[in-house]
Amino acid sequence: MIAKPAIPDVLREPGPGIGKPLSRVDGPLKVTGQARYAAEFNVPGLVHGYIVSSTITKGRITRIDTAAALRRPGVLHVFTHENRPHVAWFDRKWKDEDAPSGSPFRPLYDDRIVHAMQPVALVVAETFEAAREGARLVQVEYEAEPHETDLAARRHEAFTPGKEKGGFEPPPKPRGDPDRALAEAAVKVDVEYVQPTEHHNPMEMHGSTVVYNDDGTLTVHDKTQGAPNSHSWVCSVFGLSKSAVRVISPFVGGAFGSGLRPQHQLFMAVMAALQLKRSVRVELSRPQMFTFGHRPPTIQRVALGAAPDGTLQAMIHEAVQESSQFENYVEIVVNWSGQQYRCDNVRLDYKLARLDVFTPLDMRAPGAATGVPAIEMAMDELAHALRMDPVELRLRNYTDRDPNQDKPFSSKELRACFAQGAERFGWSRRNPQPRSMREGRQLIGWGVASGVWDAMQGQADARATLGIDGHLVVASATADIGTGTYTVMSQIAAGTLGLPIGNVTFKLGDSALPMAPIEGGSWTVSSVGSAVLAACERVRGRLYKLAAKMEGAPLGKAKPADMVLTDGHVALAADPARRVPIAEVMRSGGVLAIEEEARSVPYYVKRAQHTLATHSAVFAEVRVDEDLGTVQVSRIVSAVAAGRIINPKTAGSQVMGGVVMGIGMALEEETFMDHGLGRYMNHDLAEYHVPVNADIGSIDVIFVDEHDEVVNPLGAKGVGEIGIVGVPAAIANAVFHATGVRVRELPITLDKVLAGLSRRSAA
Amino acid sequence: MSGTLNRREVLSGSVLGVAAAGLGGAALGAAGPDAVAATPAAAAQGSPARAEIVLRVNGRDRLLAIDPRTTLLDALREHMALTGSKKGCDHGQCGACTVHVDGRRVLSCLTLAVAVQGKAVTTIEGLSAGDRLHPMQQAFIAHDAFQCGYCTPGQIMSAVACVHEGHAGSPAEIREYMSGNLCRCAAYPNIVAAIEDARNQMERS
Amino acid sequence: MGRYHRPLALADALATLAGGPATVVAGGTDVFPARLGRPFAEDVLDITGITALKGIGLDGGWLRIGALATWSELAQAPLPPWLDGIRRAAREVGGVQIQNAGTVVGNLCNASPAADGVPSLLALDAEVELASSAGLRRIPVAEFVLGNRRTARRPEELATALLIPEPGPGARSSFEKLGARRYLVISIAMAAAVLEPAADGTVGRIRVAVGACGPVARRLPALEAALRGLPLGPDLAGTVTPAHLDGLSPIDDVRGTAEYRREAALVLVRRAIRTLTEQA
Repeated sequence: MIAKPAIPDVLREPGPGIGKPLSRVDGPLKVTGQARYAAEFNVPGLVHGYIVSSTITKGRITRIDTAAALRRPGVLHVFTHENRPHVAWFDRKWKDEDAPSGSPFRPLYDDRIVHAMQPVALVVAETFEAAREGARLVQVEYEAEPHETDLAARRHEAFTPGKEKGGFEPPPKPRGDPDRALAEAAVKVDVEYVQPTEHHNPMEMHGSTVVYNDDGTLTVHDKTQGAPNSHSWVCSVFGLSKSAVRVISPFVGGAFGSGLRPQHQLFMAVMAALQLKRSVRVELSRPQMFTFGHRPPTIQRVALGAAPDGTLQAMIHEAVQESSQFENYVEIVVNWSGQQYRCDNVRLDYKLARLDVFTPLDMRAPGAATGVPAIEMAMDELAHALRMDPVELRLRNYTDRDPNQDKPFSSKELRACFAQGAERFGWSRRNPQPRSMREGRQLIGWGVASGVWDAMQGQADARATLGIDGHLVVASATADIGTGTYTVMSQIAAGTLGLPIGNVTFKLGDSALPMAPIEGGSWTVSSVGSAVLAACERVRGRLYKLAAKMEGAPLGKAKPADMVLTDGHVALAADPARRVPIAEVMRSGGVLAIEEEARSVPYYVKRAQHTLATHSAVFAEVRVDEDLGTVQVSRIVSAVAAGRIINPKTAGSQVMGGVVMGIGMALEEETFMDHGLGRYMNHDLAEYHVPVNADIGSIDVIFVDEHDEVVNPLGAKGVGEIGIVGVPAAIANAVFHATGVRVRELPITLDKVLAGLSRRSAA
Repeated sequence: MSGTLNRREVLSGSVLGVAAAGLGGAALGAAGPDAVAATPAAAAQGSPARAEIVLRVNGRDRLLAIDPRTTLLDALREHMALTGSKKGCDHGQCGACTVHVDGRRVLSCLTLAVAVQGKAVTTIEGLSAGDRLHPMQQAFIAHDAFQCGYCTPGQIMSAVACVHEGHAGSPAEIREYMSGNLCRCAAYPNIVAAIEDARNQMERS
Repeated sequence: MGRYHRPLALADALATLAGGPATVVAGGTDVFPARLGRPFAEDVLDITGITALKGIGLDGGWLRIGALATWSELAQAPLPPWLDGIRRAAREVGGVQIQNAGTVVGNLCNASPAADGVPSLLALDAEVELASSAGLRRIPVAEFVLGNRRTARRPEELATALLIPEPGPGARSSFEKLGARRYLVISIAMAAAVLEPAADGTVGRIRVAVGACGPVARRLPALEAALRGLPLGPDLAGTVTPAHLDGLSPIDDVRGTAEYRREAALVLVRRAIRTLTEQA
């Protein structure tokens, strides 16, 4: 008896809920319009703020005239750097959970202008319309200074950043002699890839509604990926006690990283509410959604050398990326290359260039969505040079250990991803020759690429409360930005306690709930899910103890280790027909509710001994109009290995969404900078193109079985990022296969394709 | 002064079935002492212009006193507490604000509230009868045709109209006729599947 | 802040315009996006209440498109095949929600270089009916659009309708639009063509126009002359040469380069003509 584990691991034999394709539990609220987002909380006396944006890119404000705005009926106050209330002085007070090193931007702090459309004033009025009109009436004079926003112009002044930020790992030291190996290699490619600025553009614009309560405390409805992050930042910046502020964010209309850091509207709304002692809403306009973080533009050189059999002999991957003048934004761009492939001579290099822009910000698969496409396009170029199948080349250089850190992977089913993806796609029928498939004026091409992302985990808390009515409430201050958090956490809880899913309520998005880290990096199932599991296991343990002590011993002399929870009953593991309803167990124990809080901490030791990552193999079919250069992605198969999938339905949607964003990245998305003005030109949804429904063809998502006991007790790695990572390269490679044209500057727009086709036919 | 006005408005509103919560400060706070209930024509004569209009939304008449330039979207969200219609761009570029006016799908951010007087406006809040979800709402849940949910009301209103227009005959047709609704979470394939499913149910009933 | 007018009678609308300039609003799909964030400083004339401006119909050899006729109404109206081209354009204007509100006349009056309706209207030899308190006048679309966002409409005038002359027997039309995504996109280039076949199976009369390749959409008279009398067959499209497009003056912008636009326009013109020959 003593050798048995105290608590059976229900996850080894998935209980009700876990692993099932459950529909979203928050679905009914969302399809009826009842789900409320940050700017949708109306309270009596609410006033509205509208942000005035600078018209220069760099320099200083010499004069602000607010008189005309203040004369506008309904306008209550105009905040500027000259009259703003006191805010924190030290940089560290302005740091949030996702801040890199440097000096965080402070709205309305002083007369300095450091980026285009910087907020320079806030007009507060009785109505939104009056605030907006007042904003137009604020007159600002500037002294402009020369600016630089062009990465190409500063690439040679780039510097090597340090650690800068949690979660960032500088590239590993070089291995072997990559330059010499490259020079001596029989087959080589040495090319440069350019990627543009992208903006997150969630459908919901960033808004904050700050309710000024009678006792002077604030209830803040914020669009954020972390209510606790917004909460601690507001308290720190404005010098408020933790109990004076509560941040609520039950629904978030998409974010993709845009809500990882507190944005301008939060500062503005809180400032105005505190000063005016009124409830205030500030919502950014769509153009203002382009005034904070973005995926930074990047220039990358990838050089690969190989033996005629495809064995990699040299790998050089160098990236120069944009950052701002005031913070060192960093992301892992080049390390993935050295992790994905076995190669003895490797140099990975990552540099930043300072430009007069706002600090970049993590955007879906930050770094990987930039660096992996580069190495995966280069691998395709190498395969073509070797006259080798691109899947075969990748398998030839496959590695079961992470060469960067010389550690084993906790699990890595990438081989199975290639095999199952290729099978589903029909890859074996591929003619390796470019331009070998056509239908009329359409050239058809097939491409492949792999993807990789970290399986991270943070520390998180959760509280589970089981009532005698059989209803379980589980709470953690995490977020659901469309990722399915409500649903998968409910499933984990229901599965652990053997309850019907309808008996479980999961609460999130509230700084008053048990602590959770910002939701990002695909770590929420891992971090919060593990905490939910732990809290529910504690509740279960108490139920078992109560059951063991029950009068009349309905389960005989069973010890907790002999029990299971199933269908609302405590039952004997060996004889599930012998069981007692949970309510009876609690009643006999004299408890109305069992409440347990638990903190999950990563398996630090086991994790440190491994590299933990999700992987994917992405297969793409494109159809290219030979006369116009338009590219249509007709088919994508994405085979993903991400450990245990808690909910194949919502996880499948996550990957599908990543695939579509990857299609956008490959073909459409780009924020154009007018370097003369230092401003983005296409800052709206008409000219910043994201895919529309008709752009999207068939998308097939496969989850490959992957067992992992290192990553966390759930064995789940998370799927928020992996969906996008391999997609841009798979499409770029398919475009080459279709046309024989290699476009190395994303996005692959029709004019670039046609120019390549013209050059080709001229040659 | 403005307090008097507030009471009058709430009173007349409640007679017409306007939820008091709908007449928040946004609607009336700015009315100020000079504000008069005005027809659009009368409003044209003075400033601040205020139009007293009756909108038929989801089968109920609602009296509003608004700036005649107020969009239907702002009238719904700020003046009637119907926040189901979403503001994704306020420029007619995303479709999140889609509602039905006399059964046709339009962008409420590009429609003046005064221009839909005498017409029937249906929003996501009025799509289902009582507690029973519309087949399109059920299909969106069943096919996981949304993630964050923000574009969803607009997608669903657009999808219902798409079926009624007879533009949901094939996946390709649905993709074309649903391209006025952006979804950044990118549930597009699931949206197409949901519409095909709901179309079949709507045609049966 | 300006005044807001919503008359129910055309005469009232014209009286308003006679009293001073006002921004005319019908579907609002061009006016409002340009104004959001800014209040109307000028007066607004909302013509959506004037029922006399509604409707699409053939009358005495002319197709009349009223000022309130929407793109959807045009797309769904039972119309003869020689209007297929502009009806195709109707499906390419924004999304369906825009098509349900936006008007054909409004698209013309907004005079965007990328207006999706204008190439077809040019190829159809359409005329604009302008009304004022002083009376009515009609001018060809080609003379109406003067430049980027500039038209020949006088401040006191209201564009009340488009009038399209019925072409000869067997006429047909086509339209091609190119954007950087499949739908909901501002055009990079467009081509529209209208064919009146001769009895002997050759090109009787053909009219071809290109949009988004200059400040205003343009007809291609040299091409039209060159095609006349040629046999209507699969080879016709191939006779279009780059020189036929010399009148275009495309620019570089975020949507595409001038060079790309020129190449794309050639392809679109050829495709528009090929569609005409395939319809036979």
